Amino acid sequence: MKRPWIGVFKFTSCDGCQLSVLNMEDELPDFVSLFQVAYFREAGDMPLRGRFDIALVEGSVSTGWQKAQIIEVRERTRHLVTIGACAAAGGLQALRNWADIEDYKRLVYPSPDMIETLPCSTPVSDHVYVDYELWGCPVNCDELSEMLGSFLLDRKPGIPAYSLCMECKRKGVPCLLVAKSEPCLGPVTRAGCGVLCPSMERPCYGCFGPKEGANIGSLLEAFRNAGFSSHECVLLLDKMNTYAFREAGTGEGRF
Amino acid sequence: MKRVFSIGYLSRVEGEAGITAEILDGKAVVRARVFEAPRFFEAFLRGRHFSDVADFTARICGICPVAYQMSSVHAMESIFGVEVEEPIRQLRRLLYCGEWIESHSLHIYMLQGPDFYGCESAWSDRQYLPLARRGLSFKKLGNQIMTILGGRPIHPVSVKAGGFFKIPDKKTLSGLLPDIERAYEQTLEAVSWAASLPFNDNDWDWECLSLRGPNEYPMNYGNVSSNKGAEKPMADFLEDVREYQVAYSTALHAEIKTEGPRPYLVGPVARLNLNHDLLPPEIKAAIRQCGIRLPMTNTHMGIIARSIELAYAFHEAVRIIKTYEMPGRPSACFEPRAGQAVWITEAPRGMLIHHYEIDGEGLVKRCAIIPPTSQNLGHMEKDLNHFMQMHMGEPANVLRKECEKIIRSYDPCISCSVH
Repeated sequence: MKRPWIGVFKFTSCDGCQLSVLNMEDELPDFVSLFQVAYFREAGDMPLRGRFDIALVEGSVSTGWQKAQIIEVRERTRHLVTIGACAAAGGLQALRNWADIEDYKRLVYPSPDMIETLPCSTPVSDHVYVDYELWGCPVNCDELSEMLGSFLLDRKPGIPAYSLCMECKRKGVPCLLVAKSEPCLGPVTRAGCGVLCPSMERPCYGCFGPKEGANIGSLLEAFRNAGFSSHECVLLLDKMNTYAFREAGTGEGRF
Repeated sequence: MKRVFSIGYLSRVEGEAGITAEILDGKAVVRARVFEAPRFFEAFLRGRHFSDVADFTARICGICPVAYQMSSVHAMESIFGVEVEEPIRQLRRLLYCGEWIESHSLHIYMLQGPDFYGCESAWSDRQYLPLARRGLSFKKLGNQIMTILGGRPIHPVSVKAGGFFKIPDKKTLSGLLPDIERAYEQTLEAVSWAASLPFNDNDWDWECLSLRGPNEYPMNYGNVSSNKGAEKPMADFLEDVREYQVAYSTALHAEIKTEGPRPYLVGPVARLNLNHDLLPPEIKAAIRQCGIRLPMTNTHMGIIARSIELAYAFHEAVRIIKTYEMPGRPSACFEPRAGQAVWITEAPRGMLIHHYEIDGEGLVKRCAIIPPTSQNLGHMEKDLNHFMQMHMGEPANVLRKECEKIIRSYDPCISCSVH
C-alpha cells in the first residue's frame, strides 16, 4: 500500500500543537512508518513540494502573506485538518479582534510601521474549506492519534462533540458550578482534555472551545446570578477561543 | 566582489525564521530574518486579572510553557509579598526539571542530533533511529513529570500565584522513581556521546549571562551574573538591558547598554559556565572523564551543555522526589496589591525576563516580556559573522549548511522571541 503523504504546517501559534505530534512518543515510530512525512519544518529538512493526502495545520491567519499561504496549502491537499485553538478559533491572539491593532503595534514595537499584520486573527475555516477540526489548547495526543488512525482506516474519528460536563460526571468530579458557584465553562466547552481543571478543583477555562449548540447566554446568566459582572463574564470567554465563544454567544463581538 | 546567499525558512528549529548573508569586500554580514507573525501578548495582557497571566503567557511557547508560568507567578508573588512554603518551591523546581528534560531531549535528539549524522530528520535514516528512540524515552519522562504535576505537558493547568491548584502525594511521585533513576544513568552516559561529536574551532571572546543561585544550579532564583565578573540582583537587571527593533525581524533584540552596547549569550552554555561548581560530584566526575573543559569557550557546544543539564535535571528530579513531604495546603493565601516587579527564571534556553505592573484591583497595568531567544539573536548574528569571516572562501552551499548548524546549536525558540 502506498503510504499517504502528510504535511505539517505552521501559521500564527506557539508550536505546541505540532509538538503534540512529537509528543506521541510511543506512537511516533508507527506514525513515521504509516505516513510519509513529506513536510514538517519543525522536525525535518524536507522541502515543500508535491501534493499531500492530509495536511495538519497549526495556527491562525494573522498576516497578509498567510492568507495566500493557506490557499496554497489547501490547493496542495486532499484532506485539510486543523490542529488546536489557534487554527480552529484564532487563538489567544484573536483578542486583537476586539481592540485597535495600531494601538497594539505601538505598545510592543518602537517602530510599529515596520510590522505588517492584519487587524484580526482568524481561524483557518474563515479562509479555506476545512475537512476536520481538532480542538484544544493544546490538542489532546489521544485525539490526535485517533484522528490519524481514523484517516488511515477511512472512518470518522471517534471524538466526542458533547460538553466537558459529561466527562466530568463520568469521572465523578464534584460540580464546581453547582456546589461552589465557581465560574466553570464546562457546560459550554467541548470535552477532550480529560477533565484536567475540575479534577484540580479549578473551574474549566475553555481550552477546547465551544461545544456544538452551546447555550452561552444561559451560562452567563448563571454567572451573573452568582455575582459576576457582565465585564467579568466576557473576560471568562475571552481566552484562547475568544472568537469562537463570542460567535457562539450572541454574535460576533456583542454581549 | 559581492556574494549573497540566504536560507528562506530554517528547519528543525521552533518557529519561523531564515537568514541572509552578504559578503562584500571581505566583510561578512549575516542577518537572522525572523518572520514569525507577532501575537502582541504585552498588549492584550493589559487590563487582565493577574490570575490570568500564568495561563496566558504559557501560550507564548508550546515547548517551554512552564518557564512562562514560573517567571510570571514569581513576579506576582514578589509584588504581593507572598512567601511560598519550601515543599512548593521544590515542586516548582521539579516541574521545571520536567520541562528541561522534555525541551533538552527534544533538541538534542530530534532537532540538532541529525546534523552530526547528515540526516534530514530524526527518522529519515535507519542508523539514527536508536538515538531518536533514546531521546524520545527521555522526553516522555519529562512529559510524565509535567503531567503528574500539571495535568498535561503543554500548557499545564495547576500553577498559580501562591503555589498550585492541587499537588500530588509522595506515593504518586515515587512511582516515577525507577524510570527516572534509570534515565539518569543513561543520560550520564550520553554526556560522553555528546562530548565525542565533532565541532568547528570557534574560540573568541564573548559575554554570557545567567542566574547564579546561592547554593543550587539556577532555575527560579538567583542573581544575574556574567562571565565578565558583574553580578546584579534580578530586580535591577533591566537597568542594564535595552530592547531594540531591527527592520528584518518581528522579534525585538536585546543588548547590554552599559559600558558600550554589546550582545550577550544566555542558555545552557552560559548557565554551565557560571554554575558548574554547583553540580553534584557524580556529574562533575563524568564531565572530567569526558575531557570537557569548563568554562566552555566554543558557543557551538550547546549540545554538550544541554546533555550535562539533561543528566542534572534527572538527578535533581530524583533528589526532589526522594525528599518530598506533602505540605498541608497547595498554595499560600494572599491579597493582591498594587506594585511592580521584575522576575527572571532559567527557561531551557536561558533567562526569561518578566516585568509586571499591577494596579490596586489586581489588574495588569503594564508588562514586558524578554524571552531568551530575543536576547540571543544579536549574539547569534555576531557568531555567524565571526564564522563567515573565517570561512569566506568556502562555496555557498557549504556556508549555508554550516550557518544552519550554528543557528541550531543555539536552540532558538522563534515563537517565544516574537510573542
